[in-house]
Amino acid sequence: MTLRWFPDEMPMPAASAETMGWWEAAADHRLVVQTCTECGTTRHPPGPLCPHCRSSAWQWRQVPGTGKVYTYTVVHQAFIASLSDRLPYVVAAVELDDAGGARLVSNLVDVEPAAVTVDMAVEVVWEDMGPELAVPRFRPIPGAAPGPRR
Amino acid sequence: MSAAGRAACLVGVGETRYTKWGGITDASEYQLAVQAVLAAIADAGMTPDDVDGLASFAEDRNDATFMAADLGLPELRYASLSWLPGGGGACAAVANAAMAVESGAAETVVVYRSLCQGQFRRFGQGPGNVPARVGPRRVPHVRRATSLLEAHVGFTMPFGMFSPPIAYAMVLRRHMHRFGTTEEHMGHVAVATRAHAARNPRAVMGGRPMTMEDYRASRLVSEPFRLFDCCLENDGACAVVVTTAERGADTAKGPVAVLGSAQGAPHGFGHGQYSNVGMPDDDYASAGARGVAARLWARAGIAPADVDVAQIYDHFTGLVLLSLEDFGFCERGEGGPLAASGALAWPHGAMPTNTHGGSLSEAYIHGLNHVVEGVRQLRGESTCQVDGAETCLVTSAAGVPTSALVLGRR
Repeated sequence: MTLRWFPDEMPMPAASAETMGWWEAAADHRLVVQTCTECGTTRHPPGPLCPHCRSSAWQWRQVPGTGKVYTYTVVHQAFIASLSDRLPYVVAAVELDDAGGARLVSNLVDVEPAAVTVDMAVEVVWEDMGPELAVPRFRPIPGAAPGPRR
Repeated sequence: MSAAGRAACLVGVGETRYTKWGGITDASEYQLAVQAVLAAIADAGMTPDDVDGLASFAEDRNDATFMAADLGLPELRYASLSWLPGGGGACAAVANAAMAVESGAAETVVVYRSLCQGQFRRFGQGPGNVPARVGPRRVPHVRRATSLLEAHVGFTMPFGMFSPPIAYAMVLRRHMHRFGTTEEHMGHVAVATRAHAARNPRAVMGGRPMTMEDYRASRLVSEPFRLFDCCLENDGACAVVVTTAERGADTAKGPVAVLGSAQGAPHGFGHGQYSNVGMPDDDYASAGARGVAARLWARAGIAPADVDVAQIYDHFTGLVLLSLEDFGFCERGEGGPLAASGALAWPHGAMPTNTHGGSLSEAYIHGLNHVVEGVRQLRGESTCQVDGAETCLVTSAAGVPTSALVLGRR
């Protein structure tokens, strides 16, 4: 993408010791989910312990980058002034395929807000913010029928 | 003193004037906190010489340590801050004060909250909201978070989920998808609450009656939420005095008993749906308060059907519907139809709710004003008085870790 989807005044992410690796993978356009190496449970946002087995051993597992819309909202208010000419925009929670039920907050792009539905099939599209930062957004999968995919 | 003599009760309530955002310029947020604390102490017929404890909840800027010194308390014996965030801690702060007096750690504790959104940040301008191009580096990059919450909202802020209405609109969208809840269901909460505010001279929106047509005509904020689904942004403070039953028996207006309290969050809930969208579906499309509710009713020894009047946290209309479900006033998915039946409206509803006008129309003081209204109902002082009210449910927040009280006349 050459045109930024959001203005430059948008907040950039801040990361903890556990979440920094997720952003480093994103910079390489790899969508990953923190996965317990003891019991296989996934978790997001990342944290230091598996809430299921309490193991502190984990790895980043790459996922396909497809999923479905779990829920969404169409935002009509510019909470940052420079967003006023980008309204309305869609914020969605995307339930990722092959990710143990993990969900991401992101945006839906290349779609009319009024056409968005729960369970719509989507795929990741990366927006490079700079050499050190890329942000995953999602667009409808062309030709995919809306509805549960699994 | 016997255990019964030490049972906690509420004996004083007070507040400052409430105005819209930026309306108070002649007093600081801290000065308002002090005013509210003094008003509550006076309402109890006490003086600061009777107070030995102070309590509040997360995100309070007005430290109890300075407050104790400035009030001239003879000795500070108890000071606590509930971890529960974003309004979830109002009832918990009262419960913590109650536990302090029941244990003998303190005799009289004042719980307070002051919120001047004109003097500090407005919501939507919260943690992590740092523009891309500030700081020494000129290219967009990932910063080190300075708090756990900031790292969590690193996964929401860059996507334009700045503010609670955006996060909770997504919760309501899921609830609508699962249960068929409608915007009109939410409108019934907004309209009933505004009608209650019309009778309350303290209410910020007291002079602004609203019809369902007005509700439908209000601008969209984050679908399905319109402006009138969202609570106020305002300036003001309030406070509540907690003491023992023995001490409370001879206070100016008599005691209101704490019949039960509970606080907490489900497994894996974290900070709630504001920073976590990965929780189980049954928790996501809910207020997150079912566990709190079960413990509350068990401790109070009453059932939902025994509640005469309720003050249910209303940061957003839709979350009131979800709280009605979680606290057992109806089945899952039936909160909307319950509101549409008129149940929440004073005077004829089955359970008049937010009789002061709530956070939607009286004032948004992170829900401590709901405790104040609960006390007034049980004293017979409300501007929408429920005849003979003997029990009042008060809840604090929804969609973050929550707390709740059952207040009563013994």
